[in-house]
Amino acid sequence: MALVHKFLSGTYMFRKCPKPGVASCPFLGTRFVDYCSSSLQKPVAGPGKNSSEGDLQGHHQREVALNITSPEEKSEVSFDKAIKDEIKSHFRRLKDDIVNYWIGPEGRPLHEVLLEQAKVVWQFRGKEDLDKWIVTSDKTIGGRSEVFLKMGKNNQSALLYGTLSSEAPKDGESGRSGYCAMISRIPRGPFERKRSYDWSQFNTLYLRVRGDGRPWMVNIREDTDLIQRKNQMYSYFMFTRGGPYWQEVKIPFSKFFFSNQGRIRDAQYQLLLDKISSIGFTLADKVDGPFFLEIDFIGVFTDPAHTEEFAYENSPELNPRLFK
Amino acid sequence: MSWAQAILLARGLSRSRGGVCGAALTGAPFPQVSLQAPRGLHCSAAAHSSDMWLVPPPPKPPRGPTRALAPHEELFRQAPDGAQDKANFVRAVQTFGQHNVHKRGHVDFIYLALRKMREYGVERDLAVYNLLLDVFPKEVFRPRSIFQSIFIHYPRQQECGIAVLEQMESHGVMPNKETEFLLIQIFGRKSYPMLKFVRMKLWFSRFKNINPFPVPRDLPQDPVDLAALGLRHMEPNLSARVTVYQMPSSRDSAGAADAAEPHIVGIQTPDQQAALARHNPARPIFVEGPFSLWLRDKCVYYHILRADLLPPEEREVEEIPEEWNLYYPMQLDLDYGRSAWDDYEFDIHKVEEGPVFAICMAGAHDQATLAKWIQGLQETNPALAQIPVVFRLARSTRELLATSSGLEEPPPPPPEGLEEEEDSQQRQQQGQS
Repeated sequence: MALVHKFLSGTYMFRKCPKPGVASCPFLGTRFVDYCSSSLQKPVAGPGKNSSEGDLQGHHQREVALNITSPEEKSEVSFDKAIKDEIKSHFRRLKDDIVNYWIGPEGRPLHEVLLEQAKVVWQFRGKEDLDKWIVTSDKTIGGRSEVFLKMGKNNQSALLYGTLSSEAPKDGESGRSGYCAMISRIPRGPFERKRSYDWSQFNTLYLRVRGDGRPWMVNIREDTDLIQRKNQMYSYFMFTRGGPYWQEVKIPFSKFFFSNQGRIRDAQYQLLLDKISSIGFTLADKVDGPFFLEIDFIGVFTDPAHTEEFAYENSPELNPRLFK
Repeated sequence: MSWAQAILLARGLSRSRGGVCGAALTGAPFPQVSLQAPRGLHCSAAAHSSDMWLVPPPPKPPRGPTRALAPHEELFRQAPDGAQDKANFVRAVQTFGQHNVHKRGHVDFIYLALRKMREYGVERDLAVYNLLLDVFPKEVFRPRSIFQSIFIHYPRQQECGIAVLEQMESHGVMPNKETEFLLIQIFGRKSYPMLKFVRMKLWFSRFKNINPFPVPRDLPQDPVDLAALGLRHMEPNLSARVTVYQMPSSRDSAGAADAAEPHIVGIQTPDQQAALARHNPARPIFVEGPFSLWLRDKCVYYHILRADLLPPEEREVEEIPEEWNLYYPMQLDLDYGRSAWDDYEFDIHKVEEGPVFAICMAGAHDQATLAKWIQGLQETNPALAQIPVVFRLARSTRELLATSSGLEEPPPPPPEGLEEEEDSQQRQQQGQS
């Protein structure tokens, strides 16, 4: 029973079927809360955060949805039919997975996957591509920043825009604030199984963006089941040039440094690329004002000229235990 | 009864000797007491609270009922000229050191000074941070035994030292050797401020020069210089030429037309000039904007001159005749046995947009100003006289202007232009697409 319950809550989120919106919202909220708040720069303070965060996150979702989707389709609500459809679709996806497994990884022939040198992971060519992303800002902890995500001109790129405000929330604890972020959703398989990306044959991240001169932070998160590691991520910076031209940003994975709860760790470890769960972009440059970032696509590729394994060596001054 | 007598006796002792018992009565942590006894530097607050060597008399309550003065705030008010600059800040810090030989309340003073630094404009000055660290008494907070360093020795003072370093970090000030010597002298090598210092030294040097599009720390104040800097920043082509089409009216030398003449600065590359000369006059080109560009904490606005993307049937591929070079072929259609291993292209159609012909930054964002820019462009681009130019300006820059302190002067809403688009608001949100 519990399984069915969970599975329903998940499927409602995915399918946007004629839903009793009120009922599904709490699930939506709590489901994202864990994920979003763990990527924040600051720890969330105060009791009862779950409810407020859930609300706000749902609010964000609604805003994005307002921007993205056409007016909601009018049809009658039928629980039995919806449940049946969901079960059917999950089993269909399970069948597809099993069939794909015999063809090769990700349903493609093995030689094709092995020979691949460049791969597009996220692209923005339609409104359904925006559903793979979450936007969040320090509104979740009481700040004033705003961020929205929508399709750009001609439905060819994603436009992330909003206003950054470094006004600290008046909760008596936080002294600083001001961030906006865009995070990719964790890919899910049939029956909401967690999936991950395997980029171990590539060594560079590629982004085609256009910004307004502000620096962004690119965060990559590894897939892990350990709850102790849920705040760990690997980050590097993405500098935008500004101006009317598109810009190609190539970040080698060896440059990503390791951090936990927003603090750089003393012991640095390389980013392991075989289980990547999500990528995120954070803006927190302490400058108040509007911002925008247009993203064409995000990919990974192999740069044969790049041979560096890891850019940061550990210091014996900080970690004497690593050098014993 | 004997217990009360003992307390009285102890109090008397503490008054006379100023050491052990006073500290013990105030409840100081145990390891500090043994240290203070021989030196007596840390006289307890309870024993001497009302004695005469509290340097300045307690300040009068402030006139406004807003909030109480922080301790030591009067030191920052004694400036003879009342100016808020580095000299007065240094003088306030030195006054604290001179009047307060025993450095009483130095933690409060340092926290206050950290808050005041931005007002005095010294938040990026390394010498001032070193001066602040110098306020700490030396050698007092150093742990003397391993137990002291295990249980954090003088935690409030260490926190204060970390706060100084953290403010340096958030303003991007790299500590130097002097900072290191001061920290070793104050807190010792095995302390949290020293750990923070080592981390800063490590990571600051790693990330110091990673910005591939550097912006100078001190931006020019002159709007024309700032516009030229921003245009150079945006344009990747180094052969681009910056032209000042109109200087601001204060030192006007260009044309004597109107009273208020905002500056107009533009940039154009030779390639863009050639592309504009080749442009089909039947197709209009557009002036779009304003779009925002951030140079550190300053926001400037620019406009672009662009055309729509040609439909695929009208695009002409430039052909290179084979006889241009007799020794080497100009085009190679050979397939060197390349296989899928060598395919480094992404399997996606990149977003294509129409060509950009020029960029400009102007002091005003209305159509009259931008028309002057187009007129100025016609001198170097005679083809522009035949091409119809459509102004697609944002009617209201409300999106861009929301809640900001570092912005340029707000661009006034342009007058009701003839060709302004109705969906300007939407265009504004779309950024520069």
